[in-house]
Amino acid sequence: MDDTRERLMNCFQVVFPDLSTEAVQTASSATLESWDSVAAITLMNVVEEEFGLSMDLDNLAELDSFEHLYSHLQKRLQAV
Amino acid sequence: MTITEALKITQSAPRDARPFTVTLACGFTPLHLQTFLAARLQQALPDRRVTIAPGLFGDLAGTLEAAAASAPADALAIALEWSDLDPRLGYRSAGDWGPAAAHDIVAGARLMLDRVAAALVRIPAGPRIALSLPCLPLPPLFHTPGWLASGHQMLLETDLLHFAAGLGQTGRLAIVNPQRLAEDSPAAERLDLKSDLYTGLPYTMRHADRLAAQLARALAPPAPKKGIISDLDDTLWNGIVGEVGPEAITWDLTSHAQLHGLYQKLLASLARSGTLIAAASKNDPAVVAKAFERNDLLLRPEHVFPVEVHWKAKSGSVARILEAWNIAADSVIFVDDSPMELAEVAAAHPGIECVLFPKDDYPAGLAMMRRLRDLCGREQVSKDDALRLESIRRSAAFHEQASGGAAPESFLQQIGATITFDFAATEPRVLELVNKTNQFNLNGRRYTEADWRKLLSAPGAVWVAVSYEDRFGPLGTIAVVAGRLHSDHLAVESWVMSCRAFARRIEHQTLRMLFEATAADAIDFSFTPTAKNGPLREFFAGLSGEEPQTGFRLTRSQFEANCPTLYHEVRELRRAEAHG
Repeated sequence: MDDTRERLMNCFQVVFPDLSTEAVQTASSATLESWDSVAAITLMNVVEEEFGLSMDLDNLAELDSFEHLYSHLQKRLQAV
Repeated sequence: MTITEALKITQSAPRDARPFTVTLACGFTPLHLQTFLAARLQQALPDRRVTIAPGLFGDLAGTLEAAAASAPADALAIALEWSDLDPRLGYRSAGDWGPAAAHDIVAGARLMLDRVAAALVRIPAGPRIALSLPCLPLPPLFHTPGWLASGHQMLLETDLLHFAAGLGQTGRLAIVNPQRLAEDSPAAERLDLKSDLYTGLPYTMRHADRLAAQLARALAPPAPKKGIISDLDDTLWNGIVGEVGPEAITWDLTSHAQLHGLYQKLLASLARSGTLIAAASKNDPAVVAKAFERNDLLLRPEHVFPVEVHWKAKSGSVARILEAWNIAADSVIFVDDSPMELAEVAAAHPGIECVLFPKDDYPAGLAMMRRLRDLCGREQVSKDDALRLESIRRSAAFHEQASGGAAPESFLQQIGATITFDFAATEPRVLELVNKTNQFNLNGRRYTEADWRKLLSAPGAVWVAVSYEDRFGPLGTIAVVAGRLHSDHLAVESWVMSCRAFARRIEHQTLRMLFEATAADAIDFSFTPTAKNGPLREFFAGLSGEEPQTGFRLTRSQFEANCPTLYHEVRELRRAEAHG
């Protein structure tokens, strides 16, 4: 497992502590009841702290699953 | 604190712990303020499980009115913002900012402040309430350029301060100090406009954390330190009194020694509010006595007890002072200008707060004085606070005349002791005593105001506050018992007695009164041994003839068989009121 994926999984487990490691990787706002607007913003802030990046609230609606967030982070980190 | 740290702290709360529920009243989306507040309170209350229930979005007054009408939570945190007074004072409203609107905004804000105040005073007693005043900068809506204060802004701020001062005088709520908040969170770094417009939370992450920290401290304040032990030379005054003589030591502006004068003023002020002050100095006692005779000292000698002056180690002085005060080192601050003395005392008395007196370093001197006020400050000063030092002097005289240890019969017989039992006392001193007493404490349990009120309002509740006086003077309210009366026994949940009142058989008289007033055949004590409640354990062992176990029971016959002769005159207050 690459470092970005592992760190992102940790972020998810901080915001959604009841989620198992397996469930984290398939998590999305559509399948996870606790992924509401408050959790989405909190997740963005936890990701900001973990990766030292500024996450734009404009992208909130698109970053609605673990995989989308992971892809977004990969692109951002490669560009750094 | 980061949001990640805050989330981890809230998740670390013990799952089976007693809940501590806080209503968070704010008109905006609480989001991170809620998370940080939960985390800060969880840190302050590690044996509770903190949960935060946010109020209604956009309707702070409605949240408070609902709180006034329903069963209260354990605490209420209120983060008031300008937009709660009028939406046009925030950024999410499309309302007009023109000159005509300004009058309307000021008038409407005044009405809203009245509505909020009316709701706050109707909230039933019990939950602790903390209020933060609007801390965001006002939007640029008034006609004046931003570098000039507008008349409307002044009117808004005046109304706000009247509102806060009025509520502050009720003693019902704790108000976050706006000046201290401004030091932690500069005004220009508080508003996050994008977050406000996108999420409804107007605060930057940093400001949300700093405000949450202040609200949490207002809701769960640390216990104030009970005493300060101060060095004398180059600390209480400028100069070495043994070298320059009592007339040449200084603490005034002219001698550039005002820092010492300010320190004396602070100690005098703390002493009048109930903080104990003692002196520990390596010096010639006769010279120090002469110095204390100077009538321009700002800290009067009657405020200082004991005064330990000799050439031996200061740790020994501190030990004797702690013994005279009968309090533990972790309730005390030691101030000295010598790092070596501070280290020697710290090594001998773990837990004592050691503070360096920073001679000639003015910023550090100011920081030290603020720290002492923070550590010792009290929200309210009771008549018992003012009595404390005098009561300790009397207690010392009592023990000296009683020859120490167990008081002989003839002495107890002659001291003219009067014990007053108040069966309906509700003054703050009662709960304060319960929450700060360690040695004669049934189980070490601490209570929030809400918990305490719940205990006293339970069916069959019995509680007694005990005051004591003898020819050495009054000790004030020195003991509290609370429990519930069942058909044939009394269940005591809380029993504390100040260590100042030991060796007077007050505990025996209290039990006699409880048996007599309740007609119970036995008393079940919710006793739990703690690291500090040895005196109570020994008292129970003396009455029962065996080491008391958790949930100790004392029967009336056991008590009567082992109770020594009691010489007090007993008075009762409000017993009929308490028991119908």
